[in-house]
Amino acid sequence: MNLRDRLGKEWLFCDGGMGTILQARGLAGGELPETWNIKRPGDILDLHCAYLEAGADIFNTNTFGANALKYPDNLEEIVRAAVRLAKEARKRTHREDAFIALDIGPTGKLLEPMGDLAFEKAVALFGEVVRYGADEGADLVLIETMSDGYEAKAAVLAAKENCSLPVLVTTIYDSRGKLLTGGTVDSTVAMLEGLRVDGLGVNCGLGPEQMLPIVRRLTEVASVPIIVNPNAGLPRTENGKTLYDVGPEEFSSWMEQIASLGIHVAGGCCGTTPDHIRRTIEKVSKLPFRPPYPKKRTVVTSFSQAVEIGPKPVVIGERINPTGKKKFKEALRSRDIEYILSEGLRQEDAGAHILDVNVGLPEIDEPEIMETVVKRLQSVTALPLQIDTSDPAALERGMRLYNGKPMVNSVNGKRESIEAVMPLVAKYGGVLVGLALDEGGIPDTAEGRLKVARKIYAAAEEYGIPAEDIVIDGLAMTISSDSRSARVTLETLRRVRDELGGHTILGVSNISFGLPRREIVNAHFLTMAMTAGLSCAIINPGNEAMMQSYRAFLALQDLDENCMGYIAAYAGTAPAPDAVSARPQGAAEGQKAAAAGPMRLGESIERGMTERAAALTREGLLTKDPMTLINEELIPALDRVGQGFEKGTLFLPQLLMSAEAAKAAFEVVKEQMAGTGRKIKGRIILATVKGDIHDIGKNIVKVMLENYGYDILDLGKDVAPETIVDTAIRENIRLVGLSALMTTTVVSMEETIKLLREKKPDTLVVVGGAVMTQEYADAIGADCYAKDAMATVRYADSIFDA
Amino acid sequence: MREGKDVIRETDSREVARYLGYHKVKPDPAMEEEIALCLEDLCRAAEPRAVWRRCALEQKEDGLLTVKALPEDPSSGILMETASRSLSRNLRGCSLVCLMAATLGPGPDLLVRRAQILNAGRMVIYQAAGAAMIETWCDEINEEIRREAQAAGLFCRPRFSPGYGDLPLSLQRNFMSALQMKKEIGVGLTDSLLMTPTKSVTAFIGLGQEKTACPREGCEGCSQAGSCSFARS
Repeated sequence: MNLRDRLGKEWLFCDGGMGTILQARGLAGGELPETWNIKRPGDILDLHCAYLEAGADIFNTNTFGANALKYPDNLEEIVRAAVRLAKEARKRTHREDAFIALDIGPTGKLLEPMGDLAFEKAVALFGEVVRYGADEGADLVLIETMSDGYEAKAAVLAAKENCSLPVLVTTIYDSRGKLLTGGTVDSTVAMLEGLRVDGLGVNCGLGPEQMLPIVRRLTEVASVPIIVNPNAGLPRTENGKTLYDVGPEEFSSWMEQIASLGIHVAGGCCGTTPDHIRRTIEKVSKLPFRPPYPKKRTVVTSFSQAVEIGPKPVVIGERINPTGKKKFKEALRSRDIEYILSEGLRQEDAGAHILDVNVGLPEIDEPEIMETVVKRLQSVTALPLQIDTSDPAALERGMRLYNGKPMVNSVNGKRESIEAVMPLVAKYGGVLVGLALDEGGIPDTAEGRLKVARKIYAAAEEYGIPAEDIVIDGLAMTISSDSRSARVTLETLRRVRDELGGHTILGVSNISFGLPRREIVNAHFLTMAMTAGLSCAIINPGNEAMMQSYRAFLALQDLDENCMGYIAAYAGTAPAPDAVSARPQGAAEGQKAAAAGPMRLGESIERGMTERAAALTREGLLTKDPMTLINEELIPALDRVGQGFEKGTLFLPQLLMSAEAAKAAFEVVKEQMAGTGRKIKGRIILATVKGDIHDIGKNIVKVMLENYGYDILDLGKDVAPETIVDTAIRENIRLVGLSALMTTTVVSMEETIKLLREKKPDTLVVVGGAVMTQEYADAIGADCYAKDAMATVRYADSIFDA
Repeated sequence: MREGKDVIRETDSREVARYLGYHKVKPDPAMEEEIALCLEDLCRAAEPRAVWRRCALEQKEDGLLTVKALPEDPSSGILMETASRSLSRNLRGCSLVCLMAATLGPGPDLLVRRAQILNAGRMVIYQAAGAAMIETWCDEINEEIRREAQAAGLFCRPRFSPGYGDLPLSLQRNFMSALQMKKEIGVGLTDSLLMTPTKSVTAFIGLGQEKTACPREGCEGCSQAGSCSFARS
């Protein structure tokens, strides 16, 4: 019998602790438990038999820690032996009805960006285990004790791509209901259901009592069967000894309470024994069984946040998009990822809930850049992303590497589009934007658009995508070319909500294309659209008029409790129509500015006031030519700051804040000089060497060098010697700056220098980092040791100015 | 023991300034404000966690140290072996040692990465404030361990981490498995033996029968003493 025929239809029970029992049988600290599959098979067999005799329906192979990192030489042997032992136990106890779960635990490494294990490497590691286990005859894959949703996603993909067995996933929460990576029940459930797991739940970490609130939340949000495998209480340390002291009687009573909340599979984890399971089965199987039912929630997630669509309109930031933005296009072409990230972070600070990510340009490798931008964005923001592309390859790359359940923008009613996009959503999960247009173009009536929407819902059903994972784009078209267009759009929104029970989305500002003072129309249209039921507004959250409409709407519609959101945004602000309300870059800037009164550009730079410096540069350019401004104000100010730092009268954060202010001033000059800008003194490679993940020092040096007129090729951290040398050759670079923080990684620095000397002997090397000294630098053959960022600037000047 | 979030709120802003290189100089009021704001952000972002375990310690004349599970532990065996003169000096006379690991979680690293893009000045303040904060959190764990030891009539030695003196960084691997650090507190190890999240610390704390004069510790005991611009004055 297949597990799928019984799961969610009747009570099923998992086995209990494995590791804790093996320890009691003599497993030594540091000894890998899976080695017993070969060394002491009798003990493993006994344990399986005891659980099967106690009544467990699903029991785990002894493969929790089995992966190629821990078993580089004999993984296959270990996994196959484990499944064979499980089969033998089933035969011996005449429990042929029981299901063998191929047990998969975490890799033991942290995934990027937190650690150094690449996502695809994790998928490959899990995949190997799945292939051996499934081939040997496991009945399901149980992924458990996952404290990182991203790693769980890698394991699920590995399971789905290497076998067709049912997949169950349980994660480990702390007493506050969070994963170690910050994920919550809501975010984890949405992501795993998106990945189409057969069941999900919670195990380890806590006892049944502490799990109650987590299980309660699971029963509120999960639509698939729920599995609960607690420890025998919270581990208690007594004289350094770890104890689990909730006995079978007490444990099973708690499990009765848990079961009556509406779960579907019960079992145990650390510290539980066959007796715990036996008593649990006796008590729980008497309770009425309630099958899972669909919760119909529309949720998108990041690694830690869940944003529900429906209860109130959400703001989707539209700024990560090259359309009509010269600077953004330039950033894409030159791979200035940081510029793209800064667009995202500014929208987050301005109040966006989700960020749209569109990086499509005809001449670039879109799948590659999508991968890079999604990876980098999810390392700096906890906002969920909306992957926006018409290139299915770019869409798949983005969705696959995404840490959560993304929004997907978009599919439309054309068969070709449905066939390209829907299989990806069915595989990776996502909330899909459906544009109300098809082969016949954009219908010019609401009825026509609803017809397309119905077609999209029907197609989604064919692909197994639930209706709640569809959001219909009612299509905002400019009223300047068709004066009826806003009314059609608004009617579409209303009817999708009322007749289809669906959610809607709009790129709001399209409505005013071609009109003057567009934000007047946009802001009012936004209010009208939300009144007509708009669920997701794609807007620029940095546009104050739009956010005013949004916040006022929430307050007026009883969607902002006690108007707290409105008050937080506007209390104490003046109704200045031209004011920009973004959070100032330097917290103290406002205060400093107020105290300062009239100020010269140089002073604003010395005091690190970014916005003031930009404004004063704009002002200065009205009366002075750009070069005069640079030479008489900007450069002298930078020099004063640099000298202050060198003399010890001014410190690192001030140095950097001044650098940022100067950068803002240079940006203004560059804009006004129509791209000619400053003369670049030279190009320099910067990198943190292989093995080292500390890049703050390198980033400080980068900021300073850029300020002093250098073009920096920033290769990032943990950079292989070959990459640095190849780049130096390809770009014909005269100076390379290397950073290392640990004595252990100075070795990589030495290797890099050696390789550089061999392959490109005319390139000079400057080194720095916490452990670096002049003696060390000499020993590894560097040309210069720079004790800080200014020293690097001085050295670069000595090379390039000469 | 106190709630971690309450503990880290007490991080001393003077320590942050010291990490920023303010040597015998007070930051100006604007910078003090900036530091205070960054500390607040960090308090919100951090999830302080810790794990520790008491173990048996065997010491040989030649400086070889063996850390073993206590006889009453569910799992037995040798947890680590190392030869280190610095650690031997620190643990002289101890037959028990506490292994500890503490972290602020991934939140502070995210703040640093964000500031790297938007505001380099804040980047270094978060970095310095995070360093001061993890020390504050470690002090609290240390204090808890001291209290437990005191109740058993034992005295603590100053905590000593892999990478100090001649103590090899490779011991981080042993800490990882002895304390189940990834599962318990979410700390991982890169192939180059660096801990992530970066605001994480592991340490030995020796437990002895006698109250001894503390060996030199902190700045005074460091091999970089004299050449370091961050030294405590």
